[in-house]
Amino acid sequence: MRQRRADEYAEFAAARAGHLYRSACLLTAGDTHLAEDLVQETLGRLYVRWGRVSRVGNPAAYAQTVLTRAFLAHQRRRSSGERATDVFPDLPGAGDGDASLRLTLLAALARLPAKDRAVIVLRYWEDRSVEQTADVLNVSSAAVRTRCVRALARLRELLGEDLSEYARP
Amino acid sequence: MPENQSPDPFEGRLTAALRDTGDRFDTDRAALVAGGQTRGRRARMRRRAGVLGGAAGIALVGVGGALLLPTEDSSGPERSSVASSTTARPSASASPAPFSDDDLLRELKKLLPEGEFSEEGARGTADELGAFAHLVYDDGKGAAAIGISFARVEPGSQQIRELTECPDRTFVEYDDCSTSRLPDGSLLKLYQGYEYPDRRVDTKFWSADLVTSKGQHVTLSEWNSPAQKDAPITRPNPPLSTAQLKEVVTAEVWRRVVDALPENPKQPTKKPAADPLPPGVSGKKIGETLTALLPQKLDVVKQGGQDTEYAYVVVDDGKGQSLVQINVQHGMSDVADQLYGNGETLPDGTRVATRQGNGDDRVAGVVMWTVDTMRPGSDGFRVVVSAFNNGAAHAEPGRATPALTMEQLKEIALSPKWDQLAK
Repeated sequence: MRQRRADEYAEFAAARAGHLYRSACLLTAGDTHLAEDLVQETLGRLYVRWGRVSRVGNPAAYAQTVLTRAFLAHQRRRSSGERATDVFPDLPGAGDGDASLRLTLLAALARLPAKDRAVIVLRYWEDRSVEQTADVLNVSSAAVRTRCVRALARLRELLGEDLSEYARP
Repeated sequence: MPENQSPDPFEGRLTAALRDTGDRFDTDRAALVAGGQTRGRRARMRRRAGVLGGAAGIALVGVGGALLLPTEDSSGPERSSVASSTTARPSASASPAPFSDDDLLRELKKLLPEGEFSEEGARGTADELGAFAHLVYDDGKGAAAIGISFARVEPGSQQIRELTECPDRTFVEYDDCSTSRLPDGSLLKLYQGYEYPDRRVDTKFWSADLVTSKGQHVTLSEWNSPAQKDAPITRPNPPLSTAQLKEVVTAEVWRRVVDALPENPKQPTKKPAADPLPPGVSGKKIGETLTALLPQKLDVVKQGGQDTEYAYVVVDDGKGQSLVQINVQHGMSDVADQLYGNGETLPDGTRVATRQGNGDDRVAGVVMWTVDTMRPGSDGFRVVVSAFNNGAAHAEPGRATPALTMEQLKEIALSPKWDQLAK
């Protein structure tokens, strides 16, 4: 990697690692070890093809795509692919009042099939459109819509319609 | 989706909750970056070796995982990105000519009626992220987004059914949808609905999905606004009629585009593990059991659900429709305290929580009654049943209360028949 590109990559990786890690934590429903692994995998893949990635215009979005796909690939490798994670790690700030709600949210995410969870994270955490989400997941928009409707219904059920403690402006 | 763009309060709260939760996570970023770089260097070394080793062909470079990621229905073990990046592919001369991003835009514009084009974007067939073209088209009556995308699906697979079946009206409101088989054996779904299925914003979304007998899948989509989301509508309807959608989506050129997509290297056999489902209780059995437990006087006018863990029925007692839904889930004990903290515990140890509240923040007057139960034991076996005073999500309420009383819901949720299903 030429020096200028190497610098660019290092700058990008340093700037995005935190966000990628947070996304990965939501995708894995709080499995921080797996999240770290996925982020390193993602950054490694970006390193290999940084020359091209840096020219596509939105490396941050590209990184998110690679991360999401790495997560889904990992889930498929596991024999119990769509099963929930069993143990929740320590959540920073677990002492304060909202902690149990955060755990509830992670628990609810963990109940979703992996692809449904990816749809929720992309649509509501990453703010992607249906089409963009479909691109990331390599599925049709129709499939994203179906999954999204289903996942929202499930989350409503698991979390309650009002999610009341989050109902602040 | 920032809350101010999302009139659905639940989605807004979900966004806030995700932010609040996600933002709590932090780690040693420098270690992550260093780890990533090490992996990248290692992969690069392997890749160079691969190029040399596969001199007869074209080395497949780059983010192997992205290219190899299967479509919705593929199965089998994921090939590691490492494996793919060292694999030499057969010479490209064997595959059909690729389409560049410009090719795709040009072909799309050729097929559209006369008009002005702007905001063009596309990805060619060589891009492992998948090929698509989109643009804003104005026939003089208002700018509208149009997009086309391409994929391969396995002939005969479940995914084809999902792509070509019209959605369940209990959950998705739309104006029209039809599926037909064309003379060449292809399936065509023509859909006229909304960008947001609950219609909280009146952006219309019309689409045509073509799946040929060879598994070539083309989706053509259009909106009555220059962007899918968060743009004001510019015209009453999207510009292309369903007949025009059909004409464009069935154009022969698109099949060649799909053929030019990189082969999915996996040849899934009969896909037993496709899109692996959790080992959950079969949705069909849940639906059957629920129907059997309903009071006699109720007519079941509709039923449906998911493959596992969830089913619904729409019942009518002569006074209007009422949606009844049920989740039957294993392994929920970890959230028991959150679910049943305020509930009661029966003599046999079953925990029960009840709720009677607002069922839909967007539609006034929707009532949702819920009985949520968990059997004793380490399995965390949960049965939660809810009844509404409307017959479909987001529909206007057709009656004052659900067709089942809380007592009846409780009886259903606590029925020993669920325990038989659990085994």
